[in-house]
Amino acid sequence: MSTTPASTFPSPLSIATPEGCEGWEEMYPYYALLGEDRREADEQRLWFWNSMHFPEPMSAFDVVAIDGPYYALANWQNRVFAIPPAMGIDYRIVNGYVFITPNAVTDPNLIAERAAYFGERAGYYFANWDELYGRWREKMRKLIAEITALEVPQLRTYEEDAVAFEDRDTSFVRVLDSYNRALRMHEQMWQHHFEFLLLGYGAYLTFSDFCKSALPEIPDQHIAQMVSGIDVLLFRPDTELRHLARLAREAGVDASFADGRSPEAIIAELGQSEAGRGWLESLEAVKDPWFNMGSGDGFYHHHRSWLDDPSIPFSAIRGHIDALVEGRDTERPTEHLAAERNRLAHEYGALLDEQARGTFNELLGLSRTVFPYVEEHKFFCEYWFQSRFFNKVREFGALLATHGFLHDGEDVFQLSRHEVGEALEELVLSWAHGGPPRGPHHWPPIVERRRRLLERLKQWTPPPAMGTMPTEAINDPISVMLWGITPERLHSWASAMSGDSLTLTGAAASPGVAEGPARVVRDVHEITDVQPGEILVSTVTSPAWAPIFPKIRGAVTDIGGIMSHAAIVCREYGLPAVVGTGRATAEIRTGQRLRVDGTNGVVTLLDDEEPA
Amino acid sequence: MTECARPLAELRAHDEDRFGGKSTSLGELIAGGIPVPPGFAVSTAAFEAFLATGSVGERVEDALAGIDPDDVAAVAAASAAVTLEMRRTPVPDAVAAEVGRHYAALAATSSKRQPPVAVRSSARGEDSAEATFAGQQETYLWVRGTDGVCEAIRGCWISLYSAEAISYRARMAAGGGPPAMGVAVQLMVDAEVSGVMFTCSPLTGDPSVVAINASWGLGLGVVGGEVTPDDFLISKVSHEILRRTIADKQVEYVPDPGGRGTHRVAVEEPRRTAACLDEEGLRALVQTARAVERHFGSRQDIEWAIARTGSLPENLFVLQSRPVTATARAGSEAVADRTGLDAMSLVLGTFGVKPRRD
Repeated sequence: MSTTPASTFPSPLSIATPEGCEGWEEMYPYYALLGEDRREADEQRLWFWNSMHFPEPMSAFDVVAIDGPYYALANWQNRVFAIPPAMGIDYRIVNGYVFITPNAVTDPNLIAERAAYFGERAGYYFANWDELYGRWREKMRKLIAEITALEVPQLRTYEEDAVAFEDRDTSFVRVLDSYNRALRMHEQMWQHHFEFLLLGYGAYLTFSDFCKSALPEIPDQHIAQMVSGIDVLLFRPDTELRHLARLAREAGVDASFADGRSPEAIIAELGQSEAGRGWLESLEAVKDPWFNMGSGDGFYHHHRSWLDDPSIPFSAIRGHIDALVEGRDTERPTEHLAAERNRLAHEYGALLDEQARGTFNELLGLSRTVFPYVEEHKFFCEYWFQSRFFNKVREFGALLATHGFLHDGEDVFQLSRHEVGEALEELVLSWAHGGPPRGPHHWPPIVERRRRLLERLKQWTPPPAMGTMPTEAINDPISVMLWGITPERLHSWASAMSGDSLTLTGAAASPGVAEGPARVVRDVHEITDVQPGEILVSTVTSPAWAPIFPKIRGAVTDIGGIMSHAAIVCREYGLPAVVGTGRATAEIRTGQRLRVDGTNGVVTLLDDEEPA
Repeated sequence: MTECARPLAELRAHDEDRFGGKSTSLGELIAGGIPVPPGFAVSTAAFEAFLATGSVGERVEDALAGIDPDDVAAVAAASAAVTLEMRRTPVPDAVAAEVGRHYAALAATSSKRQPPVAVRSSARGEDSAEATFAGQQETYLWVRGTDGVCEAIRGCWISLYSAEAISYRARMAAGGGPPAMGVAVQLMVDAEVSGVMFTCSPLTGDPSVVAINASWGLGLGVVGGEVTPDDFLISKVSHEILRRTIADKQVEYVPDPGGRGTHRVAVEEPRRTAACLDEEGLRALVQTARAVERHFGSRQDIEWAIARTGSLPENLFVLQSRPVTATARAGSEAVADRTGLDAMSLVLGTFGVKPRRD
C-alpha cells in the first residue's frame, strides 16, 4: 500500500467554466451542482470523474441515467443490504461531467449493526441465487415488454368513441400517465439492475482476493479466465453476426456487403434474389432479441441499439465476411476457452494445500454461480431496456414536435425529465382548451442554447479527480469493485497530473505487448473511424464495441479494472490492454504511436510529434 | 579400505552421510531423469583418510585446541597454520588412485582426454547459511587432469579451515572432532548462459511461478552476486512471462584461455544489455524446474547452465538443486486468515463484515 503523502487534486469549486459555456448549470438539477452551502463538505471529499459510465457531458434529459442508477445503487447498498462500511454514491456535475464520491460508514457500532442486516440479507441471496436470478430474468423480460408496449397517445381533434362510450381515459390523462409510467419503468429497471450487482461483484472480488493472497503472483487475467462464463449471453449477438456472415458466404450473397454500402442498400439488393431473401429471413429470425445489443452503454440517449442503427452490425458482418474470404477462423474458440478455464482452475488448485484448495474451489464455485448475472445484466438493462426506453421518450418528443413545441423530436433530450413533463402538461392543456400555447416559443431557444453548450463542453477534458485525497486508505469495497479506485490508482493519477510523463500506468488487463498508431475515441459514434492495426484509446469501452476488436492491436482506457468490459473482450481476442490509466484520452492524440504493455500495465507514447 | 569415490548416478538420498548433500542430490536428479553433467562423488571417508596421513589430523587438532572464536588474530593464525600444514600434505595415494580411475572413466564418456571438470564441496545437511560458515561451499571450475582434480579436492577440504569456518564451528560445536565433507566432481558445462532459479517466488513464496536469474557465461557471476542478472518471473500454469527485467550485465566468467580455471571478462555491447534468455530458453527452464520440483516433492533452488554447443533442450543442465527453506511467505498469514472459513464468511468479509471464528 502506498504511503505517499496525500496529493491534492483541484478543489471542486475552483474548476473554471470553459469559455463560451457560461450557464451550463441550467441543464442540471440543483442538487447535482456545487455550491457555497456545501463548499466545506465537498472540498474535503474526493470526487472522481466517472468516465467509465459518463465519458461525455450529459444532456439535460440524460440526467435520468445518473439519477436512476444512483438512487438504485444507494438504495440497495445502504438501505437494503446495509453493506457495513459503505453507504451510497453521491454525485456532482461539473461542466457537464459526472463526478462521484462514496459515502463511508466509520462508526464501529453502526458498522456492526449493519453487519447483522447484511449477513442475513446477502446470505439469503447467495443461498438462493439461481432461483432469484431466474425470477429476475422474468421481471426484466416483463418490464421490457411493458415499456415496448407503452402507448403514447396521439392528440386528435375529437377523442375516440371509446372515451365517449366505453369509459376510456381521456387523452390528457393518458399522455401524462404514459410519460410518468415510462419514467417509473426506467427507475424499476435500475432497481433490478442493482439487485444482484453488488453481491455478484463481491463474490468475484472475494475469490480474486483469495487467489492473490494464496498465489501472490497470479495474473489478474487468470483469475478472470477461471471465472468468466463461456456461453455468456453478452457474446451471443456477435456470435450471431459471425453466423450471418457465414450464411452470406454459403448463399453466395456476400458480394452485396461491399464496402461503403448502407444497410438499406444491402437489404434492398438482397430482396431481389431468392438466396438474398433467404438470408434476410435468417436475419429476421435472430434480430429479436439479439439486435437489441447497444452501440454504447445505455447511459446516453444517443446510444442506439443495432435495431435502431444497423450500420454497426452490418459493418461487423462485412468484417467477418472478409475474414472468411481470407480463410481466417471467425468463430469464438469456445471449446478452447472452456478447456483453458478448467485447466487453469485445476492447475492453480493443485498448487495449494488441501485446506486452501477447499476454500479456493468453494469461492470459485460461488463466483461462477454469480458471474452469469454480472455479465448478462448489461444486455437486459443497459442495452435492451434502455434502447426501448429512449425510443419511447423519442415518441413523446415526436408528439411535442407535431404540435410545434420542438423543431424535432430528438430535441426532447435537451430538456430535463421534469421539463418534458411540464411541456407535456402545457401541450395537453393547450390542446384541450384550444388557446395559444407558449411552448413553441419557449422551448426551441432553450434547446438551441443547450446544444451549443454541449458541443463546447465536449471540448473540455475533466481532471480525473477533484477534492482532497483521503489520508486513510480508501476502504470502500464498492469503489474498488465497480471503478477500480484504489489508493495506488489515485496516487498515479495525481502524479500524472503534475508531470508530463511519456508513460501512463494502469491495470494490466490483458497480457502481451503491441505497438501501433493511436485512435482516440471519446464518443461512441467515432468507433466506425477505427482503422485496422490501430490501438484503441477510449475513456471506456463496452461489449457493444466487440465488432471493432478484430481490427485493433490493443486497447487503452481511462477507467476500469480488470473486470471491465475492455479487459474481458481483449482477453477474448488475445489483445494487450491497459485499463484505468486515468488520462489516456487527454494525453494521447490520434495518430501518435503507442506501445501497450498489457502484461505490466504500462502505456508508452513513442513519439511526441503532432500527427500529420 | 573404505569407499573413496562413486559415480554420481549411483548415489541416492540415503548416501548423504557418506557423500554429502550436494552429491547425493545430484544422484537423485539423475535418477529422476533430470539432465545433470556426469561425474563422481568423493566420500567423507576420503577426507578422513587425508587427515590420517602422517599426523596432519593431530596437528590440525592441536592448532585449534581451546581456540577462542572471538579472538580474531588467534583464529586467523590457526587458519593460516592449518592451511599451510594441509597444503604440504599430498592427497593419499589410495584416494588419488580412485579419483584418477573415476576421472578416466569420465574422460571416456567425453570426447576429451583431460576434460575440464567442476569440483565442489558437498556439505552434510542442507542449511546453506550454515554450510557457508562451515566452509562447505568451495567451488573450483575448469579443473583438468587427475593432479588438478586432487588439488581442487584438497582445496575443498582446506576451505573447512577458513577463519570464518573455524570461528563458526568453535562457537557452535562443543568439540565433536573434525568436520566431515564430501566433494562432487562433474564434467564442466561450457555455459553460454547460466544462473539460478526458484520453483516459487523467492519474495512471496507463491508456488505458481518460477523465478529465474540469468547472466552470460559461467554461473559464478550470478551466484557470487557480481553481476546483476536478468530477472524473469514465469507462470508455471500458463508459461507466460509475468515480469521481465533485463539488466546491464557488465562481466562474465569464461574458461581461461590457458585451458585451466576461469577468467572474468567484460561483456561487450550489444550483449551486455540484451536478454540472455529467449522464450525457448525460458520454456525449457520452466519445464526443468517443474520436473525437479516434482521429483523432490518440494520447492527447489536450482543452479543451471545452458551450454554453448548443442541445442535446447538437450544443452540445458542442472548443476545442483536444494530445497528452498527460507522463503519469506508474505501471503501465508493472509491465507491462514482465510482458510478454515466457509466461502460465505469470506464474501461477507469483502463487504467489511469481520469473520467470527467459533
